[in-house]
Amino acid sequence: MTSFYPVKCPHRRQGSVIEWLIPMTAEIKHGDIVLEARGITKRYPGLVANDNIDFEIRAGEIHAILGENGAGKTTLMSILFGLVRADEGEIHVFGKKVNFRSPLDAIDLGIGMVHQSRKLISAHSVLENILLGHPQAGSILNFKKAAEEVGHLCDRYGYKLDLNARVWHLSEGEKQMVEILKALYRGAKILIMDEPTSALAPPETKKLLKTIQIMTRDELAIVPFITHKLPIVLSISQRVTVLRRGKVVARLNTADVTEQRLAVEMVGREVIFELERDVVEKGKPILQVENLSAHDEKGIHSVKDISFSVHEGEIFGIAGVSGNGQQTLAEVLAGLRKAAGGRVLLDGLDVTQTSSLDRWKKGIGYIPSEQRAVGSIGDFSLVENMLMSYYYDDAFSKWGFIDFQKTRRFTEELIAEYGVATPNADVNARNLSGGNLQKLILARVLSRKPRLIIANLPTQGLDVGAMEFVQNKLLEARKSGAGILLISEDLDEVMALSDRVAPMYEGEFMGILPGETADRETVGAWMAGLKQKAVEQ
Amino acid sequence: MWEFWVRSLNASTIFTVAALGEIIGQRAGILNVGVEGVMLFGATISFMVAKTTGSYLLGFLAGIAVGALIGLLHAFFSITLGGDQVVNGMGIWILGFGLTAYIGYPFTGPLGLPRIPTIAGLSPFFIFSVLLAVLMWFFLFKTNMGLKLRSVGENPSVAEVSGINVARTRYLSVIFSGMLMGLAGSIYALDYNPVWNYNFLMGWGFIALALVFFAMWNPLILLGGSILFGVLWQVSLNPEALLPNVFSRYIWRTFPFVITIAVLVMMSTRWFSSRWGAAKPEALGLPYEKD
Repeated sequence: MTSFYPVKCPHRRQGSVIEWLIPMTAEIKHGDIVLEARGITKRYPGLVANDNIDFEIRAGEIHAILGENGAGKTTLMSILFGLVRADEGEIHVFGKKVNFRSPLDAIDLGIGMVHQSRKLISAHSVLENILLGHPQAGSILNFKKAAEEVGHLCDRYGYKLDLNARVWHLSEGEKQMVEILKALYRGAKILIMDEPTSALAPPETKKLLKTIQIMTRDELAIVPFITHKLPIVLSISQRVTVLRRGKVVARLNTADVTEQRLAVEMVGREVIFELERDVVEKGKPILQVENLSAHDEKGIHSVKDISFSVHEGEIFGIAGVSGNGQQTLAEVLAGLRKAAGGRVLLDGLDVTQTSSLDRWKKGIGYIPSEQRAVGSIGDFSLVENMLMSYYYDDAFSKWGFIDFQKTRRFTEELIAEYGVATPNADVNARNLSGGNLQKLILARVLSRKPRLIIANLPTQGLDVGAMEFVQNKLLEARKSGAGILLISEDLDEVMALSDRVAPMYEGEFMGILPGETADRETVGAWMAGLKQKAVEQ
Repeated sequence: MWEFWVRSLNASTIFTVAALGEIIGQRAGILNVGVEGVMLFGATISFMVAKTTGSYLLGFLAGIAVGALIGLLHAFFSITLGGDQVVNGMGIWILGFGLTAYIGYPFTGPLGLPRIPTIAGLSPFFIFSVLLAVLMWFFLFKTNMGLKLRSVGENPSVAEVSGINVARTRYLSVIFSGMLMGLAGSIYALDYNPVWNYNFLMGWGFIALALVFFAMWNPLILLGGSILFGVLWQVSLNPEALLPNVFSRYIWRTFPFVITIAVLVMMSTRWFSSRWGAAKPEALGLPYEKD
């Protein structure tokens, strides 16, 4: 590996990390090219993931890389961080050609990565996480010195953090900050951030944006990789490189572009941001929840005294950052978890104590958030997966024997109707892409014509096309008179689909707002807990 | 009375050393339920070597070496091959049980060497075990290597992106873990009870295994747990010394095992895991595959 002065540690265990961190910033001038990719190409069987990609990142800029799922972002990111090797092309860091064998090489050269799925050890303290794997940590850890130095970093970027707290006590935004601090403390000059705002509540997002803006003053280069959140791209980055199908399709200065333009570049066609919502007459209540309380698997009281109802022809949206009790609530309503108190009424009948199967038979359809872990069995064929909602149906089994021919025909019809891309109905579910698998699960649930649909994060991780499909299917079900409980972490989605919105924070509804009149800021602030519990319903 | 307490502390030494071995393996994420097997190997081999050569030193070294060897075997199976650690651990126990009974049979009987000197009856290994526990605590919580080791047991993929060689760290800790278990067996056979007999460990390895959970993977808590079980064991052997005429001695004999089972049952309850679950290394028993 080529060694390079500014980011090479002077000597192990000598001096303070801060001492060499600060003078280093003097070496790099604003606008210097710190990272340059030339002709990066990566082929996988049957697919060119990255096709001759060029771009350069300058010191002190925030340079977003924008693209849909499958546009080659992940591959590019892995190449820049040394996880994957490019087939062709060169990477230059601080003007020198580099050849990464592993992420360690990238880290040593000053590239830091902030992962979307946090790469932190939750049982350890913040400081332990930051020190883990640090080349200058020494054999006996000097927690005091490290705390001082990391504390300086925090002060510098205007962030407050308890360094001795266990990571599992922290909020999503704080965890992300720990990852950033860890990268900076190891001397990162270029920060690659994978979907930096995806798990954050709006106020936390604001805080993050402020922090990284201060960082650019120290001539750090920040490279966020972003899929959906176009307003974020516009509000923070100076430049944006748009990827589509593995190629760079546009290099833009964000000052000159609009959200629509970005969307067109990213998707390759006009995107309708407004979903078509027909006016549907709200019918009688299907689901009534009265003073429901429940505990999650860690025994935490995560649903606290919640009351609401869902009516025919209505989408009731629950907006919230993950981990505020939505998962527990969905599981209790689906009969997968016991309620600790309160009642659940379905069409006026008390179903609080009944089994899941009983609820399916009474007309609840459940779309779980974990497609692969809960929504499907990976090693089962699509036909067998379809049976999971039909095995108890007399039309498909007699005397305990399953009519496989009939199920297969039925599955094939649904595959055609929902446009699931698969060679046949006998492939295993694990071979489907996320979008196709979700379509299959949707087909399985909706084909039973449920009266109430519990959709838990139905579009999470899907690309724009599949997302639109799922949302339209939910709207279709609404039109045909079903009641829908939509749980989502995507504020735009909840706002676009719901007739009523309930922001959820720490196991409680902060209030219930009518969909048409609720404004984004209010819902965003409420789901971050920035409001005393509302009185109005 | 003094003799009763001294015997208890001497017994606790063996629990401490074996359980410290298990702690270091489990902290790195590798479960070895075959502690008893490794100890039987260590005890029998060290006894054989010491009796043949007449040297305690060679005996202890042989016991540690055979422990390291079985540790290596367990590491290869659970890390390189990614096998089921419980199954392999049971294999080690059965192998240790059967093979040591076979190879040790000709050596049945007392060791026939002068006893290792004691301090008023207290074995020097007791002091050694206390020091070892304190050192182990310092190593795990205050050193860089200890942090790496714990990280590997908590979340190997995070450790990997932080630049830690997961396989190497786990190998080293499992081998060291085997060495301590082998040493514990040797202390039993050469110092605590220097008379070889068929299955003469009588389940002490399993008690050590339970103690690891009991101590919540903390060497200092372990020290207390070991002493408690050392006392319990002595009471079970000789209840008249402490509590005359309470139960039949046969009921006393079951106590250490009944408590072991009770502790393990309690630890597997939801109540426990919701309150103390964070202490358990998250990746314990799970093979790690790079993605």
